[in-house]
Formats: sequence, structure tokens, C-alpha cells
Amino acid sequence: MGRENKILGIVGEVIAADFLKQKGYKILENNYTTPFGEVDIIAKDGDFTVFVEVKTRATDSLGPPSLSITWAKEKNIIKNALCYLKKYGLVYSYWRIDVVSVKLGEGNGVEQIELIRNAIEGTL
Amino acid sequence: MIAKIYSSCLLGIDAYEVTVETDIGGGLPYFNIVGLPDPAIKESRDRIKAAVKNSGYSFPSKKITINLAPADIRKEGAALDLPIALSILASEEVLDSGGMQDIIFCGELSLDGKLKPVKGVLPISMAMGKMGKKRLILPADNAREAAMVKDIEVYPAGSLKEVVDFLNKTIDIKAQRSNIEQIFKKNSRYKIDFADVKGQEHVKRGLEIAAAGGHNVLLIGPPGSGKSMLAKRLTTILSEMTIEESLETSKIHSVSGKLIPGKGLIGTRPFRSPHHTISDAALVGGGTHPAPGEISLAHNGVLFLDELPEFKRNVLEVLRQPLEEGAITISRISNTLTYPSKFMLVAAMNPCPCGYFTDPKRECLCSPFQIQRYLSKISGPLLDRIDIHLEVPRLELKHLTDKRCGEASCEIRKRVDRGRSVQRERLKADGIFFNAHLESKEIEKYCVMDKEREELLKLAILELGISARAYDKILKISRTIADLDSKDVIEAHHVSEAISYRSLDRNLWG
Repeated sequence: MGRENKILGIVGEVIAADFLKQKGYKILENNYTTPFGEVDIIAKDGDFTVFVEVKTRATDSLGPPSLSITWAKEKNIIKNALCYLKKYGLVYSYWRIDVVSVKLGEGNGVEQIELIRNAIEGTL
Repeated sequence: MIAKIYSSCLLGIDAYEVTVETDIGGGLPYFNIVGLPDPAIKESRDRIKAAVKNSGYSFPSKKITINLAPADIRKEGAALDLPIALSILASEEVLDSGGMQDIIFCGELSLDGKLKPVKGVLPISMAMGKMGKKRLILPADNAREAAMVKDIEVYPAGSLKEVVDFLNKTIDIKAQRSNIEQIFKKNSRYKIDFADVKGQEHVKRGLEIAAAGGHNVLLIGPPGSGKSMLAKRLTTILSEMTIEESLETSKIHSVSGKLIPGKGLIGTRPFRSPHHTISDAALVGGGTHPAPGEISLAHNGVLFLDELPEFKRNVLEVLRQPLEEGAITISRISNTLTYPSKFMLVAAMNPCPCGYFTDPKRECLCSPFQIQRYLSKISGPLLDRIDIHLEVPRLELKHLTDKRCGEASCEIRKRVDRGRSVQRERLKADGIFFNAHLESKEIEKYCVMDKEREELLKLAILELGISARAYDKILKISRTIADLDSKDVIEAHHVSEAISYRSLDRNLWG
């Protein structure tokens, strides 16, 4: 099961990267690792550095993929992003976090793909 | 980029200028409002985001910081929605921000970008001269109210998009013009009249005297004798409101959101009749951020307390100071505010718990103890501030079936006006307007009688068991009666009539 999910994830990330290129994003990094975890895709969209979290699902039984980002995960994504920004001195530039949710159908064909811009905002 | 938009918030019944500053910068997208916003303003973040998107503009996914200056006064209400949204659009350069230094914006946004009316527009437009601003852009429903003030231009807008287009000069909005005199005249007609009341001539005369001298009144009578009906019509014989008075009263009603949209000014004297379960805070004003109460809403009009002994004791006691001073100062931890409250107090009560003590036809079932307890609910200090006590008898059948109408309010008002102008002339130097506000020194000076009449009054006091406290009151009422009669010196029949208006002093019951 674990292995299958990992493969599913990698397939999803490849599909998402292609999808983002179509949307005009410039991909900077794939699977960028930091001490806190990793960022699936780092891309450039205009002035913005965009950190993309890719969520892939094969079934709807656990709800839509985008719902699986919990508050703890959000915090982790922000931490990862800050690690990257700090390294390149970009903390005060424009940056945001997007989510791509990929749903795979029969034989790993794309059934549905969706980009949620600015999916995670700063909290008070 | 930084943008600055001007708006206004209320502190009591006065408005002050608020500068809405927006900074949009880098960082994780984030929208924060600082400068002591209250929860309604904090929540406006979600309204503004939706309204901006639904008006066809993109909401910046950047770090947005809004500052409401001055930062140390707490801002209240939803009127800042529009200026906040505009300042975001201005710093994104969607909006041409040149030439906005003389504009005040206010309005609540709905999610679809439409503008909703807000409270307290009149005080804002009245304070604009002081702020040095000339133009006011606000929701269309508020335009008429705001346009009551001369020397400013009021632009009514329907939606956020309309305001943006207007500022970018792609559309034109016609300034709202109102003729204040005309609106005031239209609004200053009463729907009720003293001609509706049959009989009760003695009570009408008493109310006429009360209206002329500004005396507070207590009506005592059995159920169904028409106490409320008479009290309601008292406003119709008070002298007509001046425009200044009307603006003052409208301002208070505007702050509490009680002005009828599209009507503009209040032209008739307010008549407020709170239920006897009212709390002290609701009567004199209160709350964490003090709001005006019933006595301030009755400013320049009549406060009617029906079933006076049923009111809670502490509620009646808080009336004492505003009755004396014509204003109420409310102190709370956040603020100390003063609201004007010049009103005439009219109270009504039954003579006993069952209500029929003075009724010649029906027997009273109350024990003396019960009556005593009922009357003792009204404290001496409060009773002291009520000059005229009127007994309202049960209506006779012959009056009920009478086809003739009573005297019309406008006729009575003419006499009241005459009486008032005599007083105003006489009391000008003392800075008071009514005989009711005379102090003992002025009573000595103005309520002059010859020796003979004075002896008569003293005799009457002794014979009728009238308390010494009532002596000054009787003199004041006699002065008003003499003024209505256009006499300089108080005569015997003036005094005797005045005595008849002090029935609670005559120990008739209880």
C-alpha cells in the first residue's frame, strides 16, 4: 500500500509540473528538501515565487485531495518555504503557496486537475 | 505602495476624521487591520475580499496591512468597509488616487459589492467643515440625510464599482441636493391633534400650561380615562421645532440608526414612550461603548412614562440628574460621553393598584396599606421634579357621544407660543428659557404678588395641608398661568388654579 501511494505521488507531481508549465509557471525546483521536510515544486509565476503542494488521489472515498491539507501541514509548508526564501534572501519579496490537486482515473490517466492559487494565507 | 483614504467614525454624537492607510508588500499573503478596530471592522476583511472580487477586480495575494489613524481611539461600525476596499484598490493602482484629499468615504459593503446604508451619517456630514473636507461619497440610502448640511457635496453611490468608476472619471454621479427648509416643513406635520380628544378640558388646560412653562407633568387617573392619548398629543402643542433643534435631535437619532431612510430630518418633536420593564442603561444610555438612551432620543421632545410606579426604582432614580441638567454624562471604562437630553417628562399612573380609587362610579378594592405602598414607589426627589399633577377623571357618557370636536392643537399652540415668548424675554438675562427652570432666587425676583395674595396663598397652604416644598412649585406654575394670561403680576385666580395642579400635595389619598 505504502509503495503504491508513493508511486501515485510521483506520477501526480510529474503531471502537476506539466500542468503548471502550461499555465506559464517557470519550474525552479522539484522535491526541494529542507530540514523540515520537502516542497513538491518551487516555481516562478510573474513576480511571485510559488511553492506548490501537489495532492494526488486515485479515489474520492476520502474526499477531494485539496481537503487533506490540515492546519499542521500548512504550518509545515510555510516553514519549508521560509527555509528556501531565507537561503536566497527573498523573505520580503512576493511569494505564495498554491495547491495542485490531481485526481487519477483508470490506468493512471488524469481524470481531473485543479490549481488553487494562494491556497494558504498567513494567519493572525 | 501606500495609499491614503479619508473616512470618519463616531464618538458619541460627534464624528472625527479617520485616515485609512494601506501598505501592500511582500511576504506570505496576509490581510490585517490595525488601529483599534472593533469586531465589526475586524470581520470586514472577509466582506471586503468578497466584495472586491465580485466587483470584477482582483484581490491582491500579497501582504496587506491597513492602519486606521488615529490609532488610539476605538473605531466602531461597518462604515469603514468602503474606504478600506478603496485604499486597497488605490495601492494596487486600480484607482486614480489623485484629488481625493477632500473626500470622505463611508459605507458598508455587501458580498456582491453593493453599498448598504450606515448609521450616523448626519453627524459625519455636520463635522466635515471642521475636518476641512468638501465632498462626501456614501450609500444612496444615506444621501438624503447627509445632504441636510450646506456647503458640502454629497454623492450617492450604489456599489463599489460605481465609486471606483466615479473616481476614475469614467462615469459621473450627480450630487444630491436637498432643500433643508422644504424637507423640514414637509416633515414637521403631526398626524394627531388635540381635536381628537373629547372632554377632559381641565386636563387639556393643564397640559397647555405645562407646554408653556416647560413643567413636567404627572397624570393620575383610572384605566381608560385617556391618559396616554392626552400625553401623546402634548408634542403637538409644544412650540414648533427650530431647524437647529431638529438637527440636534436628528443627530442623536442618526447615531442610533433610528432615522427613517430617505426622510432626512426629524421635523416633529419626538415622543418616546418606553415600556416599564426598561433597564436603567436603556433609559439614560449605556453599554461598553455608551449609546444614547431613551431620554436622549426624546431630546427636544417628550418622554412619556406610562404606569410610573411599575418602573423599577433604580430606573426612575437615574432620571434625576438629566432632568436637572438637560444632559447625561455616561462613564464607562472605554469612554466618557455626554449626550444631550432636554426633554419634558410626562408620567401617568393609576391612583391605586386597582385603578379606581378616584372613580365615583366604581368601588376601589385596595386597602390603605396597598395604596400607600403603591404611591411610595415614586420617590420624593423625583416627585419634586414634577411640577404639575393632573387628575384625569373617567370620561362621562355625554362627552363620549358628543359629536363636536375639541379645540385644535394649532389654536392651543398659538397661546403656548405667546406664553413662551413672554418668558424668553423676561428670562433672557438669566440664561434660562422656561419658568420650570427658575431657582428660588429667581422665583423671588419674578413671581411677584401683592401682600394680600401672599396671605391668601399662605392660608390656602395651611388649610389644604400643602407641603412647604410645594410652595415654590405653586409660585412657578402661577407665573406661567399669568404669562399665558399676559399679566405682569400674579393674581388671585392664577394662584388658585396653580394650587389645583398639586393634587398629590393635598393628601387626597394614601
